[in-house]
Amino acid sequence: MTEIRAEMVANVWKVMVAEGTKVAEGDTLFILESMKMEIPVLVEDPGTVISLNVGEGDVVQEGDLLAVVQ
Amino acid sequence: MTVIDNLSVAPGAPSSAPEDHRDPRVRLTAFFDEGSLRLLTAEDDSGVLAGVGRIGGMPAVAFASDARFQGGAMGTAGCAAIEVAYEHAVRERVPVIGLWHSGGARLAEGAESLHAVGRVFAAMTRASGVVPQISVVLGPAAGGAAYGPALTDIVVMSQKGKVFVTGPDVVRSVTGEQISAEELGGADAHGRRSGVVHVTAPDDTAAMVQGRRLALLLGHQGQLRPATVEDVDLGFVLPESSRRAYDVKPLVNGLLDSPLGEESVELQAKWAPNIVTALGRFGGRTVGVIANNPLRLGGCLESKSAEKAARFVRMCDAFGVPLVVVVDVPGYLPGVGQEWDGVVRRGAKLLHAFAEATVPRVTLVTRKSYGGAYIAMNSRSLGATRVFAWPTAEIAVMGAVAAVRILHRKKLAAVSEEERPALEASLAAEHEKISGGLERARQIGVIDEVIEPGRTRSALAEAIATAPSARGAHGNIPL
Repeated sequence: MTEIRAEMVANVWKVMVAEGTKVAEGDTLFILESMKMEIPVLVEDPGTVISLNVGEGDVVQEGDLLAVVQ
Repeated sequence: MTVIDNLSVAPGAPSSAPEDHRDPRVRLTAFFDEGSLRLLTAEDDSGVLAGVGRIGGMPAVAFASDARFQGGAMGTAGCAAIEVAYEHAVRERVPVIGLWHSGGARLAEGAESLHAVGRVFAAMTRASGVVPQISVVLGPAAGGAAYGPALTDIVVMSQKGKVFVTGPDVVRSVTGEQISAEELGGADAHGRRSGVVHVTAPDDTAAMVQGRRLALLLGHQGQLRPATVEDVDLGFVLPESSRRAYDVKPLVNGLLDSPLGEESVELQAKWAPNIVTALGRFGGRTVGVIANNPLRLGGCLESKSAEKAARFVRMCDAFGVPLVVVVDVPGYLPGVGQEWDGVVRRGAKLLHAFAEATVPRVTLVTRKSYGGAYIAMNSRSLGATRVFAWPTAEIAVMGAVAAVRILHRKKLAAVSEEERPALEASLAAEHEKISGGLERARQIGVIDEVIEPGRTRSALAEAIATAPSARGAHGNIPL
């Protein structure tokens, strides 16, 4: 089980997956927005998204849980 | 009576008995060019064997742990063999490679073995920046055997390698944490989490190939022949929107003679991936490439990436390897975590490393270069040999829109929400004209030349080839 956490303060601009989506290494889970940049959050360990903890428009702090992949 | 035909076997080579992969002679033989190994120390129970040989024809020194005795533990005699290897390498000015498989200091020898291991550390430190030092970890490397590799320039680890100060048993008895050796000190732990290992390899053979490649890149750098450098259009990497992330690695691949993963080697690929550090050939000569990667953290600099790049810059400078710095950086990453993580102290290492470097170091700004991160990425002010920019480059304290939101806060607040975007845009255009933009950067001399992406390789080659070669007079402390 991998917890995907925000690496920086950002706005959640796009959510690219749903709960139950199967993901492979390199897939994009979210696109965050910070520093005037679109910042993709990528899958490092393949699996299935078992929980989505944020939605589009949310503001996340560094370390906040975004999703869990198993 | 059995007759053994020994004619096909070199004198002194092991007989037809099955080879023990832990035998240091087997490992050294596999590491060097075929038939080139000559031993520097005796084959005994010291736990270490040292020898000289060739790597792609280049002379080099290597030593290997002997894991057949006490798990490769290091005692007085074994450590003396490593010192012999170092003395030889420094005298001959050739790279020294350690093939590690050792549980650390020999318990039975007590303080004597600690003293011996400490002497190895001192020898490594004296050789730092003098000759390239590469470690290839093929089995467990614990305690003193962990700090040995850590003191060297580059650490390569095979899938069977594990590095830790104290193993899972000690961790469990002291802290109660249950963890496997692989989780504690394996490829994922050090390749991704700690940054201790620079290169991970799927098996021993692949790890040795990477060790050889790196030794050759640092030990036999070659000459840059600009005439052999062909131009390719590297502009394809940039997305249409300047806000969009992209992977900088295809650009690095196109810049070097051969892509990453072939003759070029990326260091610490999965640790602080928002900056790419790689050694490769450019026009036949070894160069170091440092590139912000907008795919990760938007390419922002932060404490880890600054430290990673700083160490890489200092290593290249110590061995006279010219640097190519590819800049697309929106700034330093803001955040409480970063500040408390010491981004000021650790970011300062990158400023220091570039400002101190004497090797030719050429900068290419492809897109954004903002604020403190602009300065840190080998700017003119830090002494860049030459600074190029693609026409798409922007140099500023911050993005124009962000700047006018601060500078013209009151003016913007006074208009209605509908009118605000238009006013912002016109103020930003005005701001760019007076304070920033590429033209201004060129006028004040912080950019030497604006080049089309299709001319990148030849421009960089010319700049490096015409700069006087130099080498920093310092060691390579593992920052």
